[in-house]
Amino acid sequence: MNMDQVLQTFIVESRELLQDMEASLLRIESETEQSESINAIFRAAHTIKGSAGLFGLDDIVAFTHVLESVLDKVRNNELEIVSDLVALFLLCGDHMALLIDHVESRADALDVDKLQAGASLLEKLSIYLAAQPVAAPQSAMAAAHEPRVETTGGGLVDNDNWHISLRFGRDVLRNGMDPLSFFRYLGTLGEIIGITTLVDAIPTAEDMDAESCYLGYEINFKSEADKVVIEGVFEFVRDDCVLHILPPHSRMGDFVQMLSDLPEEDLLLGEMLVRCGTLTRHELAQVLAIQAQDSVSHDDTTGEPQKPLGEIAVAQRMVQPEVVEAALEKQKQVKDSKAKQQQLVRVDAEKLDQLINLIGELVIAGAGVNILARRNGQTALLEAVSTLSRMVEEVRDSALSMRMVQIGETFNRFQRVVRDVSKELGKDIVLSISGAETELDKTVVEKIGDPLTHLVRNSMDHGIENAELRTERGKPAQGTVRLNAYHESGSIVIEVSDDGGGLNAERILAKAIEKGVVAPTQSLTEQEIFKLIFEAGFSTADKVSNISGRGVGMDVVRRNIEALRGTIEITSQYTVGTTMRIRLPLTLAIIDGFLVAVGKSSFVIPLDMVVECVEMSDQDRQALQERNYVNLRNEVLPFIRLRNLFEVEGEAPRRENIVVVQYAGQKAGLVVDGLLGEFQTVIKPLGSLFQHLQGIGGSTILGSGEVALILDVPSLVQKVVQAEMVPTV
Amino acid sequence: MAKTVMVVDDSASMRQAVSISLKGAGYDVIEGSDGKDALSKLKGQKVHLIISDVNMPNMDGITFVTEVKKLPAYKFTPVIMLTTEAGEAKKAAGQAAGAKAWVVKPFKPEQMLNAVSKLILP
Repeated sequence: MNMDQVLQTFIVESRELLQDMEASLLRIESETEQSESINAIFRAAHTIKGSAGLFGLDDIVAFTHVLESVLDKVRNNELEIVSDLVALFLLCGDHMALLIDHVESRADALDVDKLQAGASLLEKLSIYLAAQPVAAPQSAMAAAHEPRVETTGGGLVDNDNWHISLRFGRDVLRNGMDPLSFFRYLGTLGEIIGITTLVDAIPTAEDMDAESCYLGYEINFKSEADKVVIEGVFEFVRDDCVLHILPPHSRMGDFVQMLSDLPEEDLLLGEMLVRCGTLTRHELAQVLAIQAQDSVSHDDTTGEPQKPLGEIAVAQRMVQPEVVEAALEKQKQVKDSKAKQQQLVRVDAEKLDQLINLIGELVIAGAGVNILARRNGQTALLEAVSTLSRMVEEVRDSALSMRMVQIGETFNRFQRVVRDVSKELGKDIVLSISGAETELDKTVVEKIGDPLTHLVRNSMDHGIENAELRTERGKPAQGTVRLNAYHESGSIVIEVSDDGGGLNAERILAKAIEKGVVAPTQSLTEQEIFKLIFEAGFSTADKVSNISGRGVGMDVVRRNIEALRGTIEITSQYTVGTTMRIRLPLTLAIIDGFLVAVGKSSFVIPLDMVVECVEMSDQDRQALQERNYVNLRNEVLPFIRLRNLFEVEGEAPRRENIVVVQYAGQKAGLVVDGLLGEFQTVIKPLGSLFQHLQGIGGSTILGSGEVALILDVPSLVQKVVQAEMVPTV
Repeated sequence: MAKTVMVVDDSASMRQAVSISLKGAGYDVIEGSDGKDALSKLKGQKVHLIISDVNMPNMDGITFVTEVKKLPAYKFTPVIMLTTEAGEAKKAAGQAAGAKAWVVKPFKPEQMLNAVSKLILP
C-alpha cells in the first residue's frame, strides 16, 4: 500500500462521512434528542479535517476548521440549531464535497467561482464565531503547573556548546517515558558532547521506589538548532521535569543583535527575551510563576520589592546575564525616546497657520489702534497702546517660532545619502555638518530636501575627484562634502560645499557658446559663468552617470529655490573646491518692514535688508539726470528711482531719500520720497494675476486700511546692478 | 526486533497514513478502529507505544487509555493522544488518565514521526 492508495481511502471515507453528515442534518430538526446527531456531524467534520492535514490538503483543513469551530459551539449548546444554520451547514457540506472532488481530479487550482463560494461560506460561518473565545496557547498548561525548582550546582560553562540541565520527575517512567529515548532523539539534532548523570537524588535501597525516576543529567550539547527546537525534544516530559537550557556563548552576540533590532515598542522584558529567542514561552511562564510565588511570600511580611524577572531568569540559568542587560538597555532606550516624544505636542499644521493668520490680523488691527491713539494724543492711551503693541510683537514672534524647526534633522538624512552614493561611486567621501541648530520655517524645510539632495549628489559625482587625482593634487584621499547653515540679514543661508575639483570656468563658457546660450562676444564675470550651469539642458560632465550629469536637475534646483523666494549662488576655485550657497527668506508670514512713501503710495522694504538711509543732496540731484549712481563715502552706489520704476504719478518733492539695501553682498540704493519708519508687515500674497510682477514680492495692509506693496529686494538689487553696467546714452 | 506502535482512530485514512509513515521509519504497526476494537487487539500482543484519537464511536480515547493503564503489561507504555486546538478540557482529562503526550490535529506525517521518535526509537 502506498500514500496514493491511502488518499483514495480518504476520498471514499470523506464522501461517506459527508453523506452521513447530510443525513444527520436533514433529520436533526425533527428530532427531540439532538445530541447524537450533532456529535455525528461534528465527528464527520473533525475526521475529515484531521485526515486532510495528513495529506497536506490545506484548503480543506482551513475550511473545515471554521466549520468545526461553529459545530463545536452547537455541541456545547452555545448555538441553537435553527433552519438557517442547518441550511448553511448543508451548503458547507456541498462545498467540502466539491473540494474532495477537486482532490480526486488532481487539478492544479480551484476555479475562481468555487473559491469565492468557499470564501462567502466562511464569512457566513464566522458570523456565528464572533464571540468565540481564543483557544489558550499550549504554554498556558505549563503556567498552571507549579514548577518544581531545584537549585542545581555547577557554574556557567565556558565552552561553545548548549548546556542542558535536566532533572526528571518521579513519574516519568510511570508515564511510559524512557529518558534514554529523549537523548537518542536529541542526538538527531546535533552532537551530544558529554552527559553527566546525577545520582544524588537516589535514596537508599529500602526507600527507593523501583517505578520512580530519580535521575538528573547535565548535557553538553553541540547543535545549530534553536532553543525552541531543543526544548521541543522534551515536550512530553516538560511538565514533569526541571529543564534548563543555556545557549552557547557564541549565540549571545546574535541575541544582543536581535534585541537591538526589535521595533521601538514598549515591550515587557520577558516578551523581549522570548522574541529574540533566548527564552522560550515555556520558560517565561515558569519564571513568571516563580516571580508570583515570590511576591506572595514576600509582599505581606517585609514589603520587599519582588525580584526582577531578568534576575530570576539568570538565576534559573535560562539566559546569560549579558543578554538580560542588553534587553534592559533596549527597554530603557525605548522608554527614553517615548519620554522625549511626550514633551512635544503635535499640532495640526493647519491650526498653526490659522493662528498665524489671526495674529497677522491682530498686527494690522494693532497698527490701526496705534494711528487713532496718536491722532487722539492722550498720553495714557498712547502708553497703553505702546504696551499693547509690544505684547502683540511678542505674541507674533512666539507664534512664528512655532513654525520654526532646526535644519539638523534634514541635514542628518544626508549621512545616509552620502554613504550610499559614495559606495555607488567607489569614492571615499565623508559628510561634515555644521549649523544644524539653525532654524527655519517648516514649509521651507520640507521643500528644501530635494534640491539639497541634488546638490549633494552633484558635488559627490562631479565635484570630488577620484583618489588618484586627489593625491596628485596634494589633497587627502578622502573627500569631504560639507553642509552648513546660518542666518544672515533676514535670510537663512544653506551651503553645500566640497573640496573637489571646482568648476572650470573656461570649459563652462566654451560649452555655453557651443550651445548658443551666450554669444562669443559677450564678456561675463566668473559669477555669471558659474550661474550658467543652472540653465536648462546644461551639463559639462564628460560622461553621464545615473547619479547626475544628465543636464536635468540643476535648472530644476534653481526653480525650486526660486519658488521659495530664495536664490542660489556659486563660488568655486578650480582644483580647490566649490560652494553652492542657497539663500532663503527666514519666514513666509510676518516680517519687520521699513515703510517708505513715494507720492501717495506706500512701500515696504524688509527691514533686515536695509543698511542705512541717506538724504539725497542737491548736488546728487543735479547729477542724477545723467547717471544712476552716487558716491556714498567714496563707494559707488548704483540706485534706482522707485517713482520711475513703478510710474508713480506726481512730482518728486524737493527732498528725497536713498534707502541703501543689501542682498547677497551687493548694495543698491532705492530713491524714495519719504521715510515712514518701521512697520510690522503681514505678508499677503499677491493674486495670481500679479504673480509675475517684477520687483514686487507681496502686499500688506496698513493700520489705516490702505494697501502697501512689499518690495522684492533681491530682484531690485539685481536690476539696479544690471542697469548700472549698461552705460546710459 | 522492531518496536510496535498501535494506531487507534475511527478514520481509516488517518490510520493508514500514520501507519505508512511509521512503517517507513521501521516500526511495526497495529491498527484499531475504536477504543473497544483496540483494547481487544492489545491482548496477547506487545505494543511499545499507543497513538489514539479522542473522539471515536463505541469507546472514546479517554476511556480507552484509562482501560489500557489498568492492564499490568501496559502500565509503562507511552500514549500519544490526538487532539484539536479547542480540546483543552479533554486534554486535562486525558492527562489524568495517563496520556502525557499530545499531538494537535491536523498534523503532517513527519510531525507524528517526530513525536513518536521522541518516545521510542524503532
